Amino acid sequence: MNPRTLLIAAAASLAGLCVGMASAAGAEPAGVKLPDFERVTLANGAQVMLMPKRDTPLVALNVVVRGGALADPPGREGTAALLADLVQKGAGSRDAAQFAEAIEGAGGELSVSAGAESLVLGASFLSRDVGLMVELASDALLRPAMAADQFGKVRELAVQSIAAAKDSDPRALVGSYGDAWLFRGHPYGRPVGGDETSLATVTLEDVRSFFAAQVRGDRLLIAVVGDFEPADMRRRLEQAFGSLPRAMASPPVAPVAQRGQGRRVLLVDKPGATQTYFWLGNVGASRTDPARTAQDVVNTVFGGRFTSMLNTELRVKSGLSYGAGSGFSRPAQPGSFRITSFTATESTVPAIDLALATLDRLHKDGLDDQALDSARSYVLGQFPPRLETNGALAAQLNDLALYGLGREDVDGFAARVGTVDGPTARATINAAFPASADLVMVLIGDAARIRDDVRKYGPVTEMKLTDPRFAAR
Amino acid sequence: MPNPSFLASVAVLALSSLATAAVAASATVAGADQIVARTLPNGLKVVVWPDHDIPNVAMYTWYRVGSRNERPGITGLSHYFEHMMFNGTRTRAPGEFDRVMEASGGSNNAYTSSDVTVYQNWFPSSATKLIFDLEADRMRQLDFDPKVVESERGVVYSERRSSVDNDNFGTLLEQMQATAYVAHPYQIPTIGWPSDIEGWKIEDLQAYYKQYYAPNNAVMLVVGAVDPEAVFKLAEHYLAPLEAQPAPPPVTTKEPPQLGERRIRVQRDAQTPLVAMAWHSGAAPDRQSRVMEVLLSILGDGDSSRLHQRLVEQERAAVQVGTQLEAGFDPGLAWVYAVAPPGFDVAKTEALIDEEIARLAKDGPSTAELAKARNQALAGFWRGLQTISGKAQALGTYEVFHGDYRKLFDAPAVYENITAEDVQQAAAQVLRKENRTVGVLESPPPGTAAGTAAGAQ
Repeated sequence: MNPRTLLIAAAASLAGLCVGMASAAGAEPAGVKLPDFERVTLANGAQVMLMPKRDTPLVALNVVVRGGALADPPGREGTAALLADLVQKGAGSRDAAQFAEAIEGAGGELSVSAGAESLVLGASFLSRDVGLMVELASDALLRPAMAADQFGKVRELAVQSIAAAKDSDPRALVGSYGDAWLFRGHPYGRPVGGDETSLATVTLEDVRSFFAAQVRGDRLLIAVVGDFEPADMRRRLEQAFGSLPRAMASPPVAPVAQRGQGRRVLLVDKPGATQTYFWLGNVGASRTDPARTAQDVVNTVFGGRFTSMLNTELRVKSGLSYGAGSGFSRPAQPGSFRITSFTATESTVPAIDLALATLDRLHKDGLDDQALDSARSYVLGQFPPRLETNGALAAQLNDLALYGLGREDVDGFAARVGTVDGPTARATINAAFPASADLVMVLIGDAARIRDDVRKYGPVTEMKLTDPRFAAR
Repeated sequence: MPNPSFLASVAVLALSSLATAAVAASATVAGADQIVARTLPNGLKVVVWPDHDIPNVAMYTWYRVGSRNERPGITGLSHYFEHMMFNGTRTRAPGEFDRVMEASGGSNNAYTSSDVTVYQNWFPSSATKLIFDLEADRMRQLDFDPKVVESERGVVYSERRSSVDNDNFGTLLEQMQATAYVAHPYQIPTIGWPSDIEGWKIEDLQAYYKQYYAPNNAVMLVVGAVDPEAVFKLAEHYLAPLEAQPAPPPVTTKEPPQLGERRIRVQRDAQTPLVAMAWHSGAAPDRQSRVMEVLLSILGDGDSSRLHQRLVEQERAAVQVGTQLEAGFDPGLAWVYAVAPPGFDVAKTEALIDEEIARLAKDGPSTAELAKARNQALAGFWRGLQTISGKAQALGTYEVFHGDYRKLFDAPAVYENITAEDVQQAAAQVLRKENRTVGVLESPPPGTAAGTAAGAQ
């Protein structure tokens, strides 16, 4: 229990990953290369990527369906997420209980989830069960039962799960409020999982329409990594997924959000809270931003590792918090950059002031050579374990395909890290890291005890944690 | 979500012990024949598993000390000590350990449980020598800077507020743990009681260091892109000079048999009431603990499990259900928990759990359920061995809790031999009402003051 380092929760509501960094092997040159893989495009446009890897008798399957919650009808946020839940509740010849039994009886794992820009099915099975794995995955994506009684249940459970989350550690929720407050009126501000209000309005018809329009052959990216025979797997996948017709339209694309100026504060009241959880953000960068590697290197120094500037100030030197950090979410268009931390209610203002001052220091002083050297070594050294498992490799192949990036995104990583020098870092700070005067702020805490003090940061909008939504009215 | 990760962290062993279960007798683990283990003259055992899949290394150092070794006045000290292991030696200033490690491409973490404290380093193999130097330095000459001792209290307090005081599950489990044990120190919360967090002294840290941070009380696992002989050379150079210490005093208190059900009711603002049950079960090496893993897996592991099907799918009496087994050096607790829907009568949720347990005790599991538990254990075993970190964790678990890392590879026989009768018997013998503590968390009745956090400051 109680690891000493806070892992900053990646606000998973946007598709792009990326609080973390990326990089390759230790000293320098080559870095890690993506292992070889085979790529095939099926007749219906589905892209298939196969990477045999035989160190364990396991196979991972990752299927991305391009076009996620961005395609939710207006006011019906959570449609894609409910579909993701529903396709696991009976498909093909199996009812809901039989479907779960088939997965777990084989010791397998299979789950479907929604992101802003895709639905993702992830599965891991023993290699002796690859046939079953492909059958279950294609049943879920091609032949879901979408029964009315099951829909009623998944919708009710989704609403109840939000209530349960609000009774739990607020660290897991602060990003949902942050995205909604930062991206007000922009598609990235719509909660991917929906909120209690929107979920109540989603109908089975909405979900079925979404399925018919979005889950189509040319939207599929299928990656398999592990202990299998490529020729055999290619046949299986072609048979399983090749019949799904093409979509009538392209997946939805979000417009580019502009970076906000000035500050505005959302205070989410959790009466009796002994700690204030804060999220300070602005619009950051996209998955394909040419400066993404430089951003990772700079963020490593600022808020991406234990000795980062933020964690040093808020944890190591002051003891104000168990952890402080920063990170980017990078979907297809610029997503959020945010600073997150938490502190005892009575130290709310000193902690936020310190976070702001640390951001000011980044802008004023930039990074010296020693900090840059250290950060480059760190991101290079920490990169290989990110591509160690079948599941991680399969997800990486699909991430590259989803965002139109080639293998050079991985293979060229070490080289890109090597080019991040002082001037590059300075340009990146100016371009991607907001000024402390331009921050959208979310605070979850005991409003009665902090409301007066936080007015100094900007105009305050208040809501209750128990309000059935993540966005302020 | 109701934070199952907290449960998982309370029971360090729980999942891993199931996951490290069954290797099919036919399956051999690639590279396992390359593992080399040696014990230095000072008693430090070093186990090396070369694995060149990625150019990195995972080094895990396990100390046999946790909150089980504490007493009133110093609760939470093991975990606080863990924090202080990063905060300076006689020759390295506070913070230098992290700065040097990160600048060479490495990262680290650590965790503390009731039984053990584990330090984890992940680094490119080019940094291996440096990491040995850093690790040996803090084993040999840790120093406590009074200023850091004070500021780190604030860090731990913040950690407590996050994982316990502002998290309903964390609050309930802490109260139940303290109720389930009347004698054994497993009653102590690993994070520590608030008044002790405020009260630890430098002398407490110094005494702990001498007593527990001795080479003969530790095991080191090194897995990754290394040559074993080179690793042992580094171990000889950096770690062999450490002096062995007298064995720490054993924990001798045994929890007496429970004589009847205990119930607690925790009042906290909650939209979703919680109910949890904890039964006294076995220690890590007991065969009974393997049986309990299978039993709990059948009851609550996954959407096809009995509790999920009955409570979540059929009766709508829970948003989520789960189980967990704590099995360490001494007999731990078997947990079943459920999150009730908003406004739901949690007593009904509890009654349904009772029904499912009674059914399992009466009829035992089906053949298909036993096969499922075995397959899940087998797949979990392999998933754990996909990474160098997973290998280091699995080796450490078997070496420390089962006495020999090689037992990791014997586990399948144990699981294959668990019968329906074993499971049925365990359900009847362990999951008895007289042997359990039941905890309910729900909002206080309207008009009364809401419960404030135990550690409210």
